[in-house]
Amino acid sequence: MKKRWPITILYRAFSSSTTSTTASFPLKHVKKSNFDSALSSLRHHIQAADFVAIDLEMTGITSAPWRDSFEFDRFDVRYLKVKDSAEKFAVIQFGVSPFRWDPLKQSFITHPHNFFIFQRQELPLDGAAYEFLCQTTSMDFLAKYQFDFNACIHEGVSYLSREQEDKALKHVNSTYKDESLDSWHSLKEIRDTHLFNIPDILFAERMKDRLSEWLGGLLRNRDEGSEVQPSFNDSKQQFETIFFKMRPAISLNGFTSHQLRLIQLVVRKHFKDLAYLRVSGENSCSQNVIVYIESESVKKMLMKEVKDEQKIDAEMSIKASIGFRHVIDLLSSEKKLIVGHNCFLDIAHIYSKFFGPLPLTAEEFISSVNKYFPHIIDTKILLNSNSILQQRMKKSSTSLSKAFSVLCPQIALGSKSTHLSLQPSVKVEVEVDDIRSSNWNSGVKHEAGYDAFMTGCVFAQACSHLGIDFKQQSSSENLAHNEKLREHVNLLYLSWTNGEIINLSTGNRTSESLASNKRKNHYPKILFECIVIVWGFPSHLKAWDIRECISKVYGPTSVISVYHVDETAVFVQFSRAEMVSKFLDLKESLDRNNDPISVLHPLAKLLEGGNTCAASYETYKEICSSTVSKVLFADQAKAVGIKWKTKLVESSDKTKEHESLRKVKAVNSDPSCGERTKNKNFDDVSNDSSYSQLSSDEIIDSFYTREAKQI
Amino acid sequence: MVPKFKPSPLRIRSFCTKTVQQNPHHWPIKQITKTNFNESLSEIKNHISSSDFIAVSLQNTGSFSSPWHRVSTFDTPETAYLKAKFAAERFQILQFAICPFKLQASKVIAYPYNFHLFPRDELKMGMPSYSFTCQTSYLTAMAKEGFDFNTCIYDGISYLSEAQESTVKVRMGNPMAVDHATKSSSSPALSVADTVFIERVRSRVKHWKNACTDSDIKTEAALVTSLRKIVLGGEQFGSRPSMTIDVCSERQVQLVLKMLEDFSDVLVPLIIPAKGGGTQAVRAVLTSSDEDKHLLKRELQTFEFEQNKRVRGFREVIDLISASQKPIVAHNSLNDFTFIHSKFLAPLPPNMNEFICSLRLAFPQVIDVNYLLKDIGPVKKMTNISATIAYLKNRFFAPIEMEIPNQANENEGKIHGHNVVKICQLFGKLCSILKITPDAIESSDDFLASAINRYANIFYSLPGSSQEPTNEEIRGWTNDKRKVSCEDVVFLWGFRERISAGILKNMLQGSHEVFAEAFNVRMVDRSCAIVVFGKPGLSNTFKNVMNSKEVSGPLREMVSDGLKAAGYETYQRVCSSGLWESALADALDKALASHNCLSEAAYETKQSEIYLSNELINLAEL
Repeated sequence: MKKRWPITILYRAFSSSTTSTTASFPLKHVKKSNFDSALSSLRHHIQAADFVAIDLEMTGITSAPWRDSFEFDRFDVRYLKVKDSAEKFAVIQFGVSPFRWDPLKQSFITHPHNFFIFQRQELPLDGAAYEFLCQTTSMDFLAKYQFDFNACIHEGVSYLSREQEDKALKHVNSTYKDESLDSWHSLKEIRDTHLFNIPDILFAERMKDRLSEWLGGLLRNRDEGSEVQPSFNDSKQQFETIFFKMRPAISLNGFTSHQLRLIQLVVRKHFKDLAYLRVSGENSCSQNVIVYIESESVKKMLMKEVKDEQKIDAEMSIKASIGFRHVIDLLSSEKKLIVGHNCFLDIAHIYSKFFGPLPLTAEEFISSVNKYFPHIIDTKILLNSNSILQQRMKKSSTSLSKAFSVLCPQIALGSKSTHLSLQPSVKVEVEVDDIRSSNWNSGVKHEAGYDAFMTGCVFAQACSHLGIDFKQQSSSENLAHNEKLREHVNLLYLSWTNGEIINLSTGNRTSESLASNKRKNHYPKILFECIVIVWGFPSHLKAWDIRECISKVYGPTSVISVYHVDETAVFVQFSRAEMVSKFLDLKESLDRNNDPISVLHPLAKLLEGGNTCAASYETYKEICSSTVSKVLFADQAKAVGIKWKTKLVESSDKTKEHESLRKVKAVNSDPSCGERTKNKNFDDVSNDSSYSQLSSDEIIDSFYTREAKQI
Repeated sequence: MVPKFKPSPLRIRSFCTKTVQQNPHHWPIKQITKTNFNESLSEIKNHISSSDFIAVSLQNTGSFSSPWHRVSTFDTPETAYLKAKFAAERFQILQFAICPFKLQASKVIAYPYNFHLFPRDELKMGMPSYSFTCQTSYLTAMAKEGFDFNTCIYDGISYLSEAQESTVKVRMGNPMAVDHATKSSSSPALSVADTVFIERVRSRVKHWKNACTDSDIKTEAALVTSLRKIVLGGEQFGSRPSMTIDVCSERQVQLVLKMLEDFSDVLVPLIIPAKGGGTQAVRAVLTSSDEDKHLLKRELQTFEFEQNKRVRGFREVIDLISASQKPIVAHNSLNDFTFIHSKFLAPLPPNMNEFICSLRLAFPQVIDVNYLLKDIGPVKKMTNISATIAYLKNRFFAPIEMEIPNQANENEGKIHGHNVVKICQLFGKLCSILKITPDAIESSDDFLASAINRYANIFYSLPGSSQEPTNEEIRGWTNDKRKVSCEDVVFLWGFRERISAGILKNMLQGSHEVFAEAFNVRMVDRSCAIVVFGKPGLSNTFKNVMNSKEVSGPLREMVSDGLKAAGYETYQRVCSSGLWESALADALDKALASHNCLSEAAYETKQSEIYLSNELINLAEL
């Protein structure tokens, strides 16, 4: 799922009629069964590629309506929201499409791969279970595009992140280091607790007799040079004589774990020349054997041998579960130019799924991403920031499918219609399983492999418009270093909503300049120190009421805007920063003094119900950083453990962090409200009254169309 | 009481019918998705109303995320409920199997259905759920059974809970007929403003009404008609003319309604709810006659009915079960009914008592087969139904014949939902062993009621004891029946990871004199262990020692290495404040930290928060 889904839903609704044909776009679908072979061929394609386009499909975008992206997101808050999304949702499809310029055919050759991925818990590590969140609307959206959930869950390729692999390896190391120590302890345990009861003692005696009988027979036979008597093997086959590493041994079958422990005890206590071992037999089930050994040194050697073997086995199984991460490792080690479309969230997902936990701050994240992927280019930024391309795009939306159909009409329609290509267009051929084709039906949008293919085509065409001549581009030179692309490399939209761009190589943040004229809404510059977040107010209060209420106290120009985070919370932006602390002080004193004067105070309307809380923007950030996700913001604040009602700003000297202990209570426990208000954009206050006249559907529609125009 | 054994024709028939299936894999369980839901409803309704019991079984997307989140033997009913609540709020039901069944002698006649559910946001309001969590191991296990996720997500039946439905009704802004409850009888004294308001509205209504009735006679130019419409504010409601009267307050609503009573011969008032609750406007609909008026009222009713049905989705079935008031048989009732409550009734209340009260309103009798099992003997709690059935087969002679007259949908993929039939089978066996026989059922309803009542509504019980547990007890972790007071339990953490209970016990043994007496240690998860003292009072001594400066010797060494201890009340606080960290040690640390924080703020701990004294648990072998 891309961030852009709500818009594309609408877009799709209009365009789906053209794509509803039984699409047979040549795409290599990769599942568990053909992963290994696909990986080895992909390795060559990536190594030879000029750039690699990628795309991801996820099980959701936002874990709660208030975590959606807003104009009021400061860059650090924006990062926290992306982090939350990447940590909670799963990636279920990964599209990789390496593009290579073929000088003979004067066209690009691409090998679009569509990986179904699904992380299974394959290693026997205890601790937290693997789990992920599904956003119902996203699942429904994927279903609309015929996403094959069965292929994903039944046959998806699993993976381990680098961090998970390290942990597992460490675990293996410590297991095989500690073993002697642990077994000594467990031995002591047995002596302490179990040999007091008569059945255990009798059982141990019997085992002792049988073992000495076996041993006696063995020694006798050795002296006499004859075979081991098969008669020893009893009817139950509990004791089976076998050869273990060229040594005579008994394999123990059909004992309970308690009995096995007793046998182990007997062996250690009474038989110097027997060793008890637990080895992993065939079919990966563990097998208990007692081996005959001549001396202590041989025993040590044997133990070490077995231990090393087990360790190697364990390490092998860890290596085997790396799975899809091999593809990511390949992309990273080849240092190829990665091309994505509006891909900040995608990169965050890649980081958290295949490298390790996301860093706490955006800065750290950016610098580590840059280490793993030195060259990333975002086609959405490219299209929006370059005037030539903007012209080419004829000011249309820069959503992936739109860009694809505008920039690459000859590809979008298949190369059937050659008469269209009057403008210089880049030729692209698709090769799957050694079969090349330049003729195809359109693929299914929102299938990661096809989206990656579209992204790559858009990029190739954009490069050509920028004046990059692939004919002169030497294959050894990295495309990322091309001077015409240099200014676009490693720029990502931190947030498309407010056009904030981050440079991965420098960490600098800039606001979008060129494209800003395309944006319909001009908002006053947001000063985060002027913002108060208010939540838990009476549910019937709307932005307009809150604005009016506060304006009565501080004057009509005091409040610049009131913005709904969700049904239960608003941002209030004051005109001056000092009003934030004034407001919080006032609110706190009104809460404290429940006298008639405070009841008649204009703010009393806002405080009605006694659950209204307020704090500065920093508290909002704190709440965003929590791993909990309640649907309503007021519930979230409560779940985060906020027990005060007003958090005064640090600078106010008198009562520092006076904590009112009355509990914050959720107002209006209806979880659905957020869905509607989430889409409700910045509140121009005057708009609000018109909103209330519309039905909720109309609001959403109007929002969607507006957004669709923007994107 | 003479058992009335009837040589039932059913019994004879059962020999020749081929619907008797003993092999679970051939049980014809009807699979229901969005496509065949509506057509199956009436059939299900009939089976429910003619059944004696209804068995239910759920397939969820997960149960517990960390080892300690699992309801365990050291939980009180309260903490067990909180754990179940946490799971029910996060995970999703993908399959809901119900099976109305009858018990006749040694035969169970069952009508199993398996519903595929998916919470689709059909109204674009973030309902029934914004998101849900999946555990990969659960999905993988379902995949192994051949579960079709595409069918589930594409074709699953959606639903809304009762609570959600009522908010949706308001949100959709459908006009509501005025019932007598909303008409307030007491009319307060009218102020001048009120009178002005009423008169203004009255004259508008009068004009409009006259104009409408006039225009029936006169033939006017289209332009004039539309102009008139604009001027008079008239609209159409369906095929009837109507007029919207805007109101600013609930008081004005009352005034308008009262005024409209004067026109009650032809006008029907409707209330248009505002989006955020309250009333946005009153709409008066003009009807041509008394007959027409009734017709309109009926139309409104059917419209509402149809719409509600669409919105409710699968909850229709829950409502049918609830309305039948039949006893419900489940296998893991605490888990299943926290899910049912949170998805189909309302958000889960904060504690067990409220939950049980709220649930009882919808389902008066819930019987957990696990609880029936306990009456048979000291059986371990069996999580696997098939194993339990096999166990009973070996110990008792109680053959149960399964008859499933359903015709499963032909040519459909895998059949799912076998558990629900197994529950029926197990219940039949248990009833026959416990002599809650069908004969008794036929002879006296009262007898049945009391027999069943004895087993109903026990969601969490101690093994080996048949009385309902109280919050002062926690049960042991195996079949040992010794009871231990919660007071004697201490949680220990902050030792090195991957330590075994045995080693920890050894380490503790020599560390302090409180450990000279008998005590037991058990690991809760990798990070935390519980210690149970055999002698009352020692746990307090130990906790005091841990918190004092006098701690010395090996124990001091361990404390310096990070060892921490807390009583059972801290664990209860962890559960009640929702500190579901993945390691219990982290959760306990957090609980202690927030507690200290509160006490610093001179926040007095309520007396009731200190649960010590007489809480009991059963203790296991250690």
